[in-house]
Amino acid sequence: MSTTAPDAAGMDHGAEALRADTPFERATIGLGTSLLAVVAALGLGAVILAGSGENPLTAYGAILVGSFGDWFAIGETLARAAPLAVVGVGAAVALRAGVITIGAQGQLIAGSLGALCAGFVLQDAPAVAAVPLAAVAGALFGMAWVLIPALLRAHLNVNEILSTLLFNEFAFLLLAYLLNNPLKEPKAITPKSEPLPDSVVLGDLVASTRLHAGVLAVVVIVALFALWTRSTMGYRYDLFGENPRLAHSLGIGGRRVVLNSLLISGALAGLAGWLQAAGLLQRLFVDIAEEIGFFGLVVAMLGGARPLGILAAALLVGALQAGGLHMQATEGIPASLSDVIQALILLGFAVRYAPQIAAIGRRAVRSLTDTFGAAAGWGRARGGAGGEA
Amino acid sequence: MSTDAGPEVAFEARGVSRSFGATRALDTVDFDLRSGEIHALVGENGAGKTTLAKITAGALRPDSGTLRLFGEPYDPRRRSDGSAAGVAHVRQQLSLVRGLTVAQNIELGRPRALGGTGWRPWPRAFNARAARAEVERLAAELDLAVPADELVDDLPLAVRQQAEILISLAWGARLLILDEPSSALGPLETDALVALCLRLRDEGTPIIYISHRLPELARLADRLTVLRQGKVVTAGRDVHDADLRRIAELMIGDITLLDVERPALAPGEVRLDADGLRVAAEHGPGLRDVSLRVRAGEIVGVVGVAGNGQDELAGVLTGQLRPDAGTVCVDETDVTGSPAAAVGAGVALLPEDRTAGLAADFSLAENLIARRVADPQFARLGVRLTKAVQRHARALAERFDVRPPEPALRAGSLSGGNQQKLMAAREMERDPAVLVAAGPTKGLDPHAGRAIRDRCFEAAGRGGAVVIISADLDEVAELAQRVVVLSGGRVTDRFGVEEMTSARLGAVMAGLAWDPAGEGLE
Repeated sequence: MSTTAPDAAGMDHGAEALRADTPFERATIGLGTSLLAVVAALGLGAVILAGSGENPLTAYGAILVGSFGDWFAIGETLARAAPLAVVGVGAAVALRAGVITIGAQGQLIAGSLGALCAGFVLQDAPAVAAVPLAAVAGALFGMAWVLIPALLRAHLNVNEILSTLLFNEFAFLLLAYLLNNPLKEPKAITPKSEPLPDSVVLGDLVASTRLHAGVLAVVVIVALFALWTRSTMGYRYDLFGENPRLAHSLGIGGRRVVLNSLLISGALAGLAGWLQAAGLLQRLFVDIAEEIGFFGLVVAMLGGARPLGILAAALLVGALQAGGLHMQATEGIPASLSDVIQALILLGFAVRYAPQIAAIGRRAVRSLTDTFGAAAGWGRARGGAGGEA
Repeated sequence: MSTDAGPEVAFEARGVSRSFGATRALDTVDFDLRSGEIHALVGENGAGKTTLAKITAGALRPDSGTLRLFGEPYDPRRRSDGSAAGVAHVRQQLSLVRGLTVAQNIELGRPRALGGTGWRPWPRAFNARAARAEVERLAAELDLAVPADELVDDLPLAVRQQAEILISLAWGARLLILDEPSSALGPLETDALVALCLRLRDEGTPIIYISHRLPELARLADRLTVLRQGKVVTAGRDVHDADLRRIAELMIGDITLLDVERPALAPGEVRLDADGLRVAAEHGPGLRDVSLRVRAGEIVGVVGVAGNGQDELAGVLTGQLRPDAGTVCVDETDVTGSPAAAVGAGVALLPEDRTAGLAADFSLAENLIARRVADPQFARLGVRLTKAVQRHARALAERFDVRPPEPALRAGSLSGGNQQKLMAAREMERDPAVLVAAGPTKGLDPHAGRAIRDRCFEAAGRGGAVVIISADLDEVAELAQRVVVLSGGRVTDRFGVEEMTSARLGAVMAGLAWDPAGEGLE
């Protein structure tokens, strides 16, 4: 279609619009940027490694070997990717609804405590009942941990970033207290809990790896999330995140969306805690959450808050972490340098997927500006001060 | 008036033109501002007042024409050139930085020539005491109660405006442009503003005062220039001799009713019944006891200058905004303050701000099912039937001539006209009981405009009650059978479209009382 008239303010530019958005064009642009960004990141990392007196090639080789080199390495990668994917799905549900939660860290700790409590109660129960009940306990504890921030956000428009961050601190301090006092294993020198009873522990999938059966739950969760993105309810939540004023005008209540998406993200972070406690570590340590909560958000953003994207991003981060550890161990590269290299590679992928991330980032920013500034429109369109139908 | 011995000219524009795309916002405009006068610039929305103000301030460059400031050639390339030359433009959206005090604002952005920080490679300490003293000194000189140490956020709008004027003067303003300064002020605050302007004028600061409120202009302006569609209709007329009614008529221009082909509509029973609506708004007048009844097959135009309660009215009629008092019923169902009930009762909305009505990052298909996600046609067991959604989207997009009708396309990638058609397709897919359309053809090219207009007629023709809320009188003249004038949050006049004359509309919209028999004002 070509426009015959000269360019006017509201002229139809149908042809141009089509050209800029064909999948083919997107793919071509995508391929170029992807190679360039990742190669640039690896190159920059190589410069830093060489500058620190390390051989970049052996260092990168160690990352590869440590992440996919043998069954143990693959097991490590998958076991690390699993909780990241679960947290990532939770963060994605919230992000899609325009809510940024960084409380996964605390909710994960709460979830691991939930799994431990379930273990104490269900010591003698059959595993068929005890395992799922422990998972549910983890999810409920995670949900409970986000309840107060969620209510504050939905009803008083208290910024969820701040409140969930503070709740991370509470969770960490609570866990440290519990592991040093009532829950401490009597003979242990470092603070850690008793092992979880066998009834709730997830068995290994592959012998002599740390790959446990809980990884299967991840597949289910990502599949459910794929369904969520196509569901009526998921559509409403997305619409609220994308355009709160439009959602409000169609009678979608902002409060409910904000509250529920935070609760869902809390439940999933709690499940990740269950995976850590009942699957990977089989007891509670002070650093059980590592940085899974934060990297889960990275995974959600990097994956464009889409199911397959999250799966891929979780595998990438899991592989980088497993490989990074291997690099430290075998090549003697300091942990801090290993972290820098991991971050650089992630940054490269972030550049590669910039358009997908930007779309979800826009929602997040909208929610931010709204919390701090004057709300657009009626000021009631947002979840914060919002009129529920 | 002799040219040589005439009064000293502070600012002069000769033959200034400026276009945006195909729209000529200013067309060879001549304008002059004398030292020591307040020169009012009046005209409808879109007449070119703000464009001229921006050119004067340096924020826009004219396509052609010359400017002179205080006798010197004046060619500002950006806003900071204008302020360095002493031109201050106080806009409707005030530009004070929130989260800072007035004293901090006076320091921030002060022109470098006046000791401002500007850009320097090293930081400079903020002298809080000096800034505070300066605010207090100026406030005392101007007889204003502007507190130096309070956060801008905590100040009432009128005080913020005074603070902005005060800061302009501190930054060396020798010429002030006030753009619709009284639109959000109450009567007492307006009195204070008028007093301040007169005082500034008497102390030698000339002012370009943009407004459409003629009674207010009669109290403060010395001369007046009327713009209409980018052209000067009346240049530099002495306000004290002018017939304000005639001025109001000039502002509006001729209203042509005959050119439009409008279908014959036969109004039926009342479908939309809004009664006694009151809304207290933070800015602007809100709504003050507005009632509106629209019958099936009827198109009612709500006219008025933007900011007189239109946004609130659109919000209340569609259930999005809960009024402080009053009810909205659609087919005798109460939908007051409930968007869900309004959608359920068949209320459709074309919002003036298109960003409010479309999900730009969603595809066409996803946008088109926004009202019907849970419809069994599109979802089974709560999961979307992608094929059905795509098919429906393509058919609907073709029916409403959305180009290109590609279901997978991002809505934000469409042109303005097609976005509006997409929104119309979503809202009017099934005959709405009530259609509220705010400025529905604003900014559209003639073709898309006609398509949207036809949709509005169609909605009425199929028994819908249609409300057109618009500041564009031609749009209303083309569409509406009945006209309601909204001014200061009140309905100040109602009449059939055949009685819509420039004189009558100009008068009521400008806040004058309409008395067809009488000659005088008020």
